Amino acid sequence: MKNIYLMTLFTLKEALARKVFLFFIGISALAIIITALIFSLVDTQSIITGIETKTGNDFLIRNIVSTLEIMIISPLAGLGLLLAIFSSSSFVPNMLEKGNIDLLLSKPVSRQQLLWGKYAGGLLVVLLNIGFLVTGIWLIIALKFSFWDPAFLWSILIITFTFAVLYSLIVLCGVLTRGSMLGMMLAYFIFLVLSPILNLAYGRADIFFKSDIVRNIVKGIYYFIPKTSELMGGMISDLATGKGISDFQPLISSFLFLVLMMILSIITFRKKDF
Amino acid sequence: MAIIETKELTKYYSSRSQKVLALSGFDLTLEQGTIFGLLGPNGAGKTTLIKILLSITFPTSGQAYVLGRDLSDFTMKKKIGYLPENHRYPGYLTGGEVLKFFGRLSGLDGAGLDKKIDELLEMMKLTKWKKVKVKTYSKGMMQRLGLAQAMINDPELIFLDEPTDGVDPIGRKEIRDILLELKARSKTIFLNSHLLSEVELITDRVAILNKGTLLREGTVQELTEKKEEYRLTIDPPDQSFSMPESYNGVTISPVKDAFNVKASDTAQLNLFIDYLRQNNVLISGIIKEKSTLEDMFISLIEQAEKGSPS
Repeated sequence: MKNIYLMTLFTLKEALARKVFLFFIGISALAIIITALIFSLVDTQSIITGIETKTGNDFLIRNIVSTLEIMIISPLAGLGLLLAIFSSSSFVPNMLEKGNIDLLLSKPVSRQQLLWGKYAGGLLVVLLNIGFLVTGIWLIIALKFSFWDPAFLWSILIITFTFAVLYSLIVLCGVLTRGSMLGMMLAYFIFLVLSPILNLAYGRADIFFKSDIVRNIVKGIYYFIPKTSELMGGMISDLATGKGISDFQPLISSFLFLVLMMILSIITFRKKDF
Repeated sequence: MAIIETKELTKYYSSRSQKVLALSGFDLTLEQGTIFGLLGPNGAGKTTLIKILLSITFPTSGQAYVLGRDLSDFTMKKKIGYLPENHRYPGYLTGGEVLKFFGRLSGLDGAGLDKKIDELLEMMKLTKWKKVKVKTYSKGMMQRLGLAQAMINDPELIFLDEPTDGVDPIGRKEIRDILLELKARSKTIFLNSHLLSEVELITDRVAILNKGTLLREGTVQELTEKKEEYRLTIDPPDQSFSMPESYNGVTISPVKDAFNVKASDTAQLNLFIDYLRQNNVLISGIIKEKSTLEDMFISLIEQAEKGSPS
């Protein structure tokens, strides 16, 4: 565990040194400041008083708050994830560079520990950034509406989990190719194209595809590919509005994808000559 | 105890179109406290051997044991140091941070590690560079930092791949002195170097590798000694005596202020000495000829190249 912890800190330091982390934090800080400025122009107190006078409960306020939170965080989280993929895609290839990996492998550290350390480091970078962004937005809205519902903070874990799934693919591609391009392209393709299309196609498979074979193939691909579209869409929304998770399938199948990618990464890494 | 033992170690690298033999049936036994030099032209398999011993690369066949343990046991690396050729440290780390990171990865921590870092930086004359980022270091400084990194865990066995690469002559001498000091402390040093004169100065044993095959192995003395070849000096040269070009199977050729004598064995050499003495020639010296390690290395590689199908 100590070695994984060391590699995790080392990766964090690498992210800081390459200004990726700071850029990420800078973008988040900017988003928080803009949100704060916009809300400073709105008289939320009179809105609250008005709603409470008319309805006599905070149900509507809760809906307004969670809708606002989702409206703000959805595009920012999407942008954050794009940045996270870009910034983390070189962590593993950098470790595998000649002259660097030789040194790491000459130390009493297992290859598995090295890889887990790099993986955990990447996750930590994203967790800290997303945590900062989401908590910042949540604080502003909670303060303005005097409505303190922590359900929205679940989105930190969901966004980080979505990244964790895509990052496992980036790690595998990094181990296989010792480069960052393939992993980054595949992660973008899944996040921006494949997952949304499959989500749509799966829901309307009976309408779109006449052939049973084609329908089953589409469904098979749907189950295999991480459900980034559902995770970043419906799941964040359901958790923020306090509905909870109604369907665990996207979570479980994406987690299985993550496990598979990490197993393949470790098997490949353990056998690779450097 | 053998600190390194390899048996029939073979490594093929596979590319898309062909298999390249990097190491062929390599056998080696290395005892503790030895400075061992591995020599060979580029692509001979020297780095591959070190990488196999450190499990950076895996052998195709054969066995190897380091510190009496199987290579799959990575915990043995707590007692191993390694300076790779063309090593790279993240440029954003300072010299002190590099040593701290690798020290901690080697299982060290706390005040003991900090003390060790300061000692090594002092030894490598890098103390004032401790808090400077390594991206500003010169090649020689990087090599010295690399050597400090290889010694951070006070290893029993140190692998050094071209340790003096980019280091100036004074720095090289200092590194040689450090290696000799380590040897005096019973450390085993496995040295890959192109600088044959340097290897000749410090190693106890040398192996020469070419195209993955071990050509020769032994002490520097054994490898550089010329069989039945002597340098004969006579004092003063007797003007009345004319040295023959050959005598009873012995061939004699003049070299600067002396003669080179080639005899098939000691008895033949003594017969020639008797002949000289009978002719009242005063012999002032006779020493066995030695070649330099470089001469021997070049001649051995040339022979191997001629003998191998290309």
